[in-house]
Amino acid sequence: MSMPIGREVRVGGARIAGVVSCVPSRQLSNDHFSERFGADKVADVIKMIGVQTRRWADEATTTRDLCRHAGQHLLARLGWEADSVDALIFVSQTPDFRLPATACALQADLGISTNCIAFDINLGCSGYPYALWLGMTMVQTGAARRVLLAVGDTISKIVDPADRATALLFGDAGTMTAIDASHDSSAEDQAHFILGSDGRGATNLIVPQGGFRDHSLSEDPRLADKDPACLYMDGGQIFNFTLRSVPPLVERTAAFAGVAIEEHDYFLFHQANLFMLKHLAKKAKLPAEQTPFNIDRFGNTSCASIPLLMTTDVADQLTQRRCRLGLIGFGVGYSWASASLSVGPLAVAETIER
Amino acid sequence: MTKFYEGMAEIFEVEPSAITPAFELTAATTADWDSLAIVSTIALVDDCFNVTLDGEGLAACKTVGDIEALVARAGKE
Repeated sequence: MSMPIGREVRVGGARIAGVVSCVPSRQLSNDHFSERFGADKVADVIKMIGVQTRRWADEATTTRDLCRHAGQHLLARLGWEADSVDALIFVSQTPDFRLPATACALQADLGISTNCIAFDINLGCSGYPYALWLGMTMVQTGAARRVLLAVGDTISKIVDPADRATALLFGDAGTMTAIDASHDSSAEDQAHFILGSDGRGATNLIVPQGGFRDHSLSEDPRLADKDPACLYMDGGQIFNFTLRSVPPLVERTAAFAGVAIEEHDYFLFHQANLFMLKHLAKKAKLPAEQTPFNIDRFGNTSCASIPLLMTTDVADQLTQRRCRLGLIGFGVGYSWASASLSVGPLAVAETIER
Repeated sequence: MTKFYEGMAEIFEVEPSAITPAFELTAATTADWDSLAIVSTIALVDDCFNVTLDGEGLAACKTVGDIEALVARAGKE
């Protein structure tokens, strides 16, 4: 068995009941960027990242709004009363404010009772498996019977419009996942998680200003001609991290769950960059039918990319039958998290527009 | 080295015969030694030599020979 690469945790007694994603109706094709960068440069970048179109929120719409719409739709489809929700966790790097927490606003938005645990988690690409682990653990311990996970980002609002490496890559989406108790206590019903962190990579994917430390004052030469209020990404370093960490994470997740890689119906990877994903899938020897991609239609939607795959490419499967999923999140932090679990048949797995 | 040189030629959009250890990465006219080329090269080196190069080290390379030296060093670690 391979070396552990994170905390390995089993959680039982909880399940995913449904997932809804909400994407902005505003759609931007690659033509939108041709004037600024030139059609040739755009084509070069697209060949690598594989994004054909992405959804960008308008100025008045935030991650909270997308998650609220997803949440209202989800509660209605599940037939859950708002005040039956015991906890709401908001996972995002694009909250409404530095304070207060967006989770509290969403509790009120959705009409959830004040007897509700609500807080924010600042994670990006690894956020969805982290949120699932925490939500399912809360159900397992009895801290909450029903948990909502609001997971989303509007990275379009923090990209530098002059930086083609990021401006073309990211899209916006907000999702809501419902977790409740599962009465199936078989081993097959347990979810397996691996969770890890390496803060040495912090400055390779960063917004240098806007918090309480100004990283643009550092001697980092990579930031010389960059807008410190915008997202900075060192693509080479991120790819190096991904190559080192993701193939062993896939392997170790399957081994820890005791379910062979080929027995997973799907591996849902954080949709980082198409070239990178194809290289990773090839390295892990995963066939195309096992690794759906939607980065071509939505771009890299940060922490929302895994639930967005659940409500698009594999939605029909998840509403019809029980699937064994491998979920693989990795990136900003650095932070990574994976899950191997059985999901479905779900009462709802839908994508809506706002 | 053949597969590696062919891959480098593809990244720089030049004839494979143009790729030698002396080939200057920053002087290429059809593509720049930018983050796209660096990411492509990391994947190529991983495919050819099963070595994961560091982005920063790679960005500092001036020639194809520099990359080969980096691969040789990384392979020994």
